[in-house]
Amino acid sequence: MSEAEIINGLQQGDEKIFRKLVDTYRQMVVNTCFGLLHNIEDAEDVAQDVFIEVFRSAENFRGDSKISTWIYRIAVNRSLNFIRDNKRRRWFQSFENAVSTKQAWLNNLRSQNGDNADFDLENSERSAILHKAIDSLPENQKTAFTLNKYEDLTYKEISEVMELSVASVESLIHRAKKNLQKKLYYCYKKKCI
Amino acid sequence: MKCKTLHKKLIFFLENDLPAREGEEIREHLNECPECKAFAEYMQQTLSVLQKEKSPEVNPFFYTRLKARMERQVSRRELTATEKIRIKILQPAFFTLLLLAGIYTGIKIGGAAQTEVRYNTFPENEMFSYLNEMQSEPLETFLME
Repeated sequence: MSEAEIINGLQQGDEKIFRKLVDTYRQMVVNTCFGLLHNIEDAEDVAQDVFIEVFRSAENFRGDSKISTWIYRIAVNRSLNFIRDNKRRRWFQSFENAVSTKQAWLNNLRSQNGDNADFDLENSERSAILHKAIDSLPENQKTAFTLNKYEDLTYKEISEVMELSVASVESLIHRAKKNLQKKLYYCYKKKCI
Repeated sequence: MKCKTLHKKLIFFLENDLPAREGEEIREHLNECPECKAFAEYMQQTLSVLQKEKSPEVNPFFYTRLKARMERQVSRRELTATEKIRIKILQPAFFTLLLLAGIYTGIKIGGAAQTEVRYNTFPENEMFSYLNEMQSEPLETFLME
C-alpha cells in the first residue's frame, strides 16, 4: 500500500487503514517517546496521543514529507510538551513525596535476593544517571541525540524531522555528546555509582 | 596524550567517531593509564544502557486502548457541547429569573409595611446656642500666667 493510499484512507476515516498504520509505526513512536521520556507508561500514553493527532490531522497532511517523518515530528513535539507540562506539575509536588517514592523503589530493588538483584540495581542506577544526563541537555540537542541513538536515524533523516540543515544536526549531536561526557565524568568523580 | 585531552575525546572514541590516528593514540594512553581506563569502562557501561533500552516491549493491547481513548474523547466532546449550552443559556436565564423574583418580593414586602411619621423634628436637627469659649477663658489670661 502506497503512502498516498494510506493518507487517503485516513482522510476518509478508514479504520482498517488506521489500524495498519498503528501496527506499522507503533514501535517506532513508542521508542521515540521512550527515548525522550524514559518511562514506558508515559511513552505509551504519549504514543496514543500521537496516533490520535495523526488520525485527526490527516486531512492537513500535504504529503511534502514521508509519513514516518511526519509521525516522528508529532511524536517529538508531543513528548517535549509532556516534559514541559510535567515540569510544571512537579514544581507543585512536594520534594518529600518525590524522595520517598525513589527510596521505596530502591528498597524494592534491594529487597530482591541474590546477585541478580545487585546487577539489576547497578544497571538501574546506571540507567538513571544516563537519563538524568540526557534530560539535562537542551531540548534540540536531546531530540537530535535521541533520534540518532534510540531510532538509529541518519543525520539527514534527523534534519528532515527537525527541519534543520544536516550541518546543524551534526553540530547538535556533537555538542550533545560533549555535554553528556562532561556530566558523566562529573558523576564518575563524585562516585555516583 | 594527556588525561585531560582523553577525557574530552573519550565519548567520540567509544562511538568510533575519531580518525584512526587519534583512536590509536587514545588506545595507547588507555593501556598506560589505569585511571583513564577505569573511566573509559565506566563510560562504556553507562552508554551501553542506550543499546539495552532500544525497542521497549509495547503493550499488546495498545490498539484496543487507543480506540477506547478515542471513543472516550468523542463522548467527552459531546458532553462539553451540552455543557456549553447549559453555561451560556440556562445559567443566565436562571439567574435573571432569580433576580426578578427578588425584586418582586422586595416590592411586595415594601408595600405591605407602612410606617406613621409622628414627629417632624429629630434630635439631630435640634439647634444649640453658640458657645463662645474666648469669653469665658480669654487667651490673654492664659498667656499672662
